Amino acid sequence: MSDDLLNPADAESPVETVELLTASGLAHEELVELVEFGVFETRQGAAGWSFHSRVVHQARRAVKLRDAFGLNPPGMALALTYLEKIDALEQRLRELECLLPR
Amino acid sequence: MKFKDYYESLGIERGASETEIKKAYRRLARQNHPDISKEEGAEERFKEISEAYQTLSDPEKRQAYDELGRHQPGEDFRPPPAWDSRFWQGQPHQEEDLSDLFEQMGFRSSQRRRQAAGVDFSIRGHDVEAVAKLSLDEVCHGTQVTLERPGGNVSIRVPKGVAEGERLRIPGRGGPGIGGGPDGDVYLLIQLLPHPLFRPAGHDLYLELPVTPWEAALGAQIEIPTLYGRVLVTVKPGSQAGQKLRLAGKGLPQRGEGTGDLYGVLQIVMSKEISEPEQELYRELARASSFQPRPKFTGGTIHV
Repeated sequence: MSDDLLNPADAESPVETVELLTASGLAHEELVELVEFGVFETRQGAAGWSFHSRVVHQARRAVKLRDAFGLNPPGMALALTYLEKIDALEQRLRELECLLPR
Repeated sequence: MKFKDYYESLGIERGASETEIKKAYRRLARQNHPDISKEEGAEERFKEISEAYQTLSDPEKRQAYDELGRHQPGEDFRPPPAWDSRFWQGQPHQEEDLSDLFEQMGFRSSQRRRQAAGVDFSIRGHDVEAVAKLSLDEVCHGTQVTLERPGGNVSIRVPKGVAEGERLRIPGRGGPGIGGGPDGDVYLLIQLLPHPLFRPAGHDLYLELPVTPWEAALGAQIEIPTLYGRVLVTVKPGSQAGQKLRLAGKGLPQRGEGTGDLYGVLQIVMSKEISEPEQELYRELARASSFQPRPKFTGGTIHV
């Protein structure tokens, strides 16, 4: 057992553009297009855009889809939108399942 | 080193064309992509086919792979010595995975190209992804999980208030960068272990709350379990099945401030064995009651 204890990043700390690109492997032009499509929310940071930490996970998901299926940014935007819609429906389904007897 | 049959992974012949390789990969990727398939083992299969595709789609790597010859999958083998010195700069006796070898090879060939062009070259370390399966109790209080890594295990602090499906990111603690590149990140996916009583939905918890017909009819005080000890709830007279009793703040804690709620979902249950005195009371109830449970069924003509 190591005494090295890793601390996760604070979910509420914003992530700057450079960090988002490095962590996800997204190209800057792709990020701009995905923001224009409205799939990533931005805030105004100290140096340009900054993002909520969940955008890192969205961006990594987009990159995995890009690499697996050769998607361009419109394709990534569409896939992300559908997947997020499915996530929301699955969440709703879980809530409704909780109302049924096991 | 263990041999992997990349052609078999993609379900293609050894002589397959580049187009056939791409087609086979795309078809399998669509079936097994972790965002698409929720089937058991899909993620593992996806990694396997991605690894195969990364090697076979690159002509230089494919040629090198073909030079390894044919072996049984999982069979121990050593690459030929000439091959070793051409592509490989790792420790000769170190146990390595075949995929590491091809990754290094890709890196070295692009490094050679870049260095020839006079460009400094560095690549970022790998991201490390792991899953933490936590009990509701661990989620409530926060915990630590141990991540097993080749260079020694590390502990990761899981703050209280994480939810099912959440990903924690630990920047810069993944695989080391090469040539001055930054280190990768660690991602920890949170999954909740099933609990015998409580079902989580986000930060709310649901509890099945069975009541007798007379408790539902007359109302009752019922003691129920929560994650924070037992509490007394009031079932109102005339309660209906499926009705939710909300206990504010008895759900799972959220990050920062606030706590989810606990919902008791009423179920009116009936004993399977009904004794003669009970039956007599039900008959008396049937005579005394004018309750019509199926008002919409009356009137009209029934076609069979």
